Amino acid sequence: MHINTLEKRWLYVALGMIALFVGAMFYTSYSRNIHPPSHVETIDSASLHLSEEFAEDKLGVQPQPLADGRLQVKLVAARYGFYPRQIEVPAGRKIVFRLATLDVLHGVHVPMTNMSTMIVPGFVAEVTTVFPKPGEYPVLCNEYCGLGHDHMWSKLTVVAPDTWRAPTQTGVQQ
Amino acid sequence: MRASNLMILTLMAAATAYGAPSTQVAWTPQTLQFVKSGKAEHGKELAQTCNGCHAAADNPAPSLEGQLATYLYRQLQDFKAGSRKDPVMSALSSSLSDQDMADLAAWYAGQEAFAGTGGVSDPTGIAGRGDPTRMEPPCAVCHSGSGAGEKVDTPRLSGQKTGYLEKTLTDYKAGTRTNDVYHRMRLIAGKLNDKEIKQLADYYSKLR
Repeated sequence: MHINTLEKRWLYVALGMIALFVGAMFYTSYSRNIHPPSHVETIDSASLHLSEEFAEDKLGVQPQPLADGRLQVKLVAARYGFYPRQIEVPAGRKIVFRLATLDVLHGVHVPMTNMSTMIVPGFVAEVTTVFPKPGEYPVLCNEYCGLGHDHMWSKLTVVAPDTWRAPTQTGVQQ
Repeated sequence: MRASNLMILTLMAAATAYGAPSTQVAWTPQTLQFVKSGKAEHGKELAQTCNGCHAAADNPAPSLEGQLATYLYRQLQDFKAGSRKDPVMSALSSSLSDQDMADLAAWYAGQEAFAGTGGVSDPTGIAGRGDPTRMEPPCAVCHSGSGAGEKVDTPRLSGQKTGYLEKTLTDYKAGTRTNDVYHRMRLIAGKLNDKEIKQLADYYSKLR
């Protein structure tokens, strides 16, 4: 088979670039000791509603903070929304989000904050963050999850710490 | 029994009801496989009891032909477990075994689906577009654009009896039907007004 000399040169350039990029990935993961996640927390997504932690009446902002004062929020991502649909948290306080999905891969993202992670079926995702500014924020899904993906959002209200009251109970209807 | 004791018992019962999951059925691979392996011939025999109400056009009981097997199986399980309440269905489902339920589901799922008259449009716009101002997703994204339902257990709506669709949405809105996992349909129906419920019921009953 005849290949034009110029075309051949460009092929070598392209192959060289691929080799360089793959090499850079191998070098970085080796030199910086990067591994796939291990010791991850697993959960059965199919029976999430029957689980202890993500039962329907256990979701939302937890009335009792953790021993170190962090506030805990449990959310379930399911097509198409984050449950409970509306939550209220205080500004300037460390908040631990624990998230799980009932069905497919979802992402969670609160614009203008650093709250963002992927929610993978079969695993619990945990993120700790602080919301410095009070206001109303959307909680968006940023991994395409189906036809209703663009409708998958819930509401997060961040209020001034002195006006925030801990909820008395948990649950989807919070 | 003293009144205070009775009150404590009532409160305890209420707390248990609140804490109970909306359904005991989980769609694990084993359960899905079990429903898939339902025997339609046995289901046909059992279905003779059901057809008295379900096949009669003037009866409020929903049409079952062509409904998703997973949905039918879960509803029967929910009636038996008390997650979904209906005096007639609770009594009838109590004598069914898991296998009977899978068989019935297989029989009805294999029948030609109930179909509407067609030529209808949705005056609310919610079926196709939803309403972002109310955080209301469109019906079509889960129930499919044709209303044929989707896996795992989102039911077929098109061609269903108008009265049944209206009652279902009203029950979800009022919180008298509670077997939707994570309150999803209760939250959706709760944002619809009575007129929209009527219009959507009418739309889906006529949808082909």
